Amino acid sequence: MKTALPVLALFLCVFCASTCQSPPVPPEVEKAKAQENDIWRAGAPIYAADEYARYLETLRLAKEKLIKQNVRLRWFRDYKEVRADYIVILAQGDSLIKKVQAEKSSQSKDYSQRLGRFEERMGKIKALTQLMNEHAPVRENLARAEVVSREAQILIRNEKYTELASKLDLIEGHIRQAEEALFSILARYADDAQVARWRKLAEDTVSESRRRGTTAVLVNKLARTLTLFKKGKEIDVYEIGLGKYGLSDKLYAGDEATPEGRYKIVKKNAQSRFYKALLLDYPNEYDRRQFALAKKKGLISAQAAIGGLIEIHGGGNDSLTNGCVGVQDSVMDRIFLEVSVGTVVTIIGSLESADKFLAGIKVSGS
Amino acid sequence: MKKFSKFLVLGIFVVSLFSSCAKQPTQAIDAAKAAIEAAQKEGATVYAADELKKLKDDLQAAMDEVSTQGKKFFKKFGTAKEMLTKVQTDADALKATIPAKIEAAKNAALQAQTDAKTALDEAKALLEKAPMGKGTKADIMAMKADLAGLETSFAEIQTAIDGADYFGASAKAATIKEKATVISDQVKAAIEKVTGKK
Repeated sequence: MKTALPVLALFLCVFCASTCQSPPVPPEVEKAKAQENDIWRAGAPIYAADEYARYLETLRLAKEKLIKQNVRLRWFRDYKEVRADYIVILAQGDSLIKKVQAEKSSQSKDYSQRLGRFEERMGKIKALTQLMNEHAPVRENLARAEVVSREAQILIRNEKYTELASKLDLIEGHIRQAEEALFSILARYADDAQVARWRKLAEDTVSESRRRGTTAVLVNKLARTLTLFKKGKEIDVYEIGLGKYGLSDKLYAGDEATPEGRYKIVKKNAQSRFYKALLLDYPNEYDRRQFALAKKKGLISAQAAIGGLIEIHGGGNDSLTNGCVGVQDSVMDRIFLEVSVGTVVTIIGSLESADKFLAGIKVSGS
Repeated sequence: MKKFSKFLVLGIFVVSLFSSCAKQPTQAIDAAKAAIEAAQKEGATVYAADELKKLKDDLQAAMDEVSTQGKKFFKKFGTAKEMLTKVQTDADALKATIPAKIEAAKNAALQAQTDAKTALDEAKALLEKAPMGKGTKADIMAMKADLAGLETSFAEIQTAIDGADYFGASAKAATIKEKATVISDQVKAAIEKVTGKK
């Protein structure tokens, strides 16, 4: 009897242990494990670092509670609290994923907008380079900006936002360099005193045409127009083409710039290699003085020669001249009939300040 | 009494037997952690991010098992040791795959660089023989300037390769190739414009 009791107790224990099943680990535990992976994959360590750290800490504490329960003898295990904790964690995880997605979406929108503004700015500068026939270094910098811009587009598409900030800085740097080069060329066009002088030249030409009843030609370099006046009245406006540095004032031979000032037609050439041509009396006295002054100041080489042979000629306005004014052959036919030797040809930079126009590029990009 | 003493001795022996098995597998833990770190140093963060994350999760699971057993009266670290050994083996295996992945990325970057160079050279050659006549001179000059910009950007590919940024180098090279091809197409169009060929 003495030995029967412990044997019975042992039997009962073994029976209980084999029949009493421990409560199952809550399914939320496995779900949380999978969710944690999704959260990591979504980029929580990058896009919601603080929340992710808090989430991990909560997860760690819940896991400790789970371990505590697992350690107990199976019939003493109780996962109620653990389950409650994991339900909270799953909810926290859901909101974290949403936050990460929202953050990524916001960054995507922000970066796309910034990139869009840069591209708009690049488009405007590019259009200007085409208008001005101005290439290096403006176009070179634009090409570099375009390369980085394309890389940035790919990064946005692949949701790699962390690398984007530096790319956008690079794009902005290249655009700024392009703009600086552009502004240095257009600075004269934003100078009110200079624009006033051009306006005066244009007004004098039109007044003279009206007063003397003659024909006059006004070339506006920035607007890329040639206007024909008869007795002070505007007859027609035509599109023109200039040279590579057509917006600059001609100073010496080979600078590919178009002169500014009041000139006269000295020869009408109906057999020009550029269809028909009107030779101007460039350089005039003022041009010679300017050339001598520039040489004296060392602004141009001592060997530099003053240019000449500046014409209004046919051949098309979509071309690059070496300083002449190019028009379509059909336009040349019309002008050729209207003008004669001695007709005044005034070439100006612009009638309007380029200030607004330059500010437009900066504002749109800032 | 004699019987009791026998049971006592046996009990002490059993307890000491269990406690001798109860040591935490610190060596296995250190080895697994070191293996993961080594894989990371090899470049797993960049070239095998998902696999590295799985390894870290496996390590955490093993550590949880260690923790669980550590709190038990009768500790059994056998499973934890097995898990840790697997983590170490997997980490070593992952580390071994990294050089090949780096090599593949490097080769891809070098190939992309060569492709970009070929595209640039083709555009350059086309520009050289493009007729700089009326109607095309401005376009050709603009394209030459664009190409000069691309050539400057091309030099940055090598910088990226030298800095082991092979994915960055590949992306830049692909972009330059794309832009150079656009220039080639534009030159061809300009030539057609002059020659009148369609």
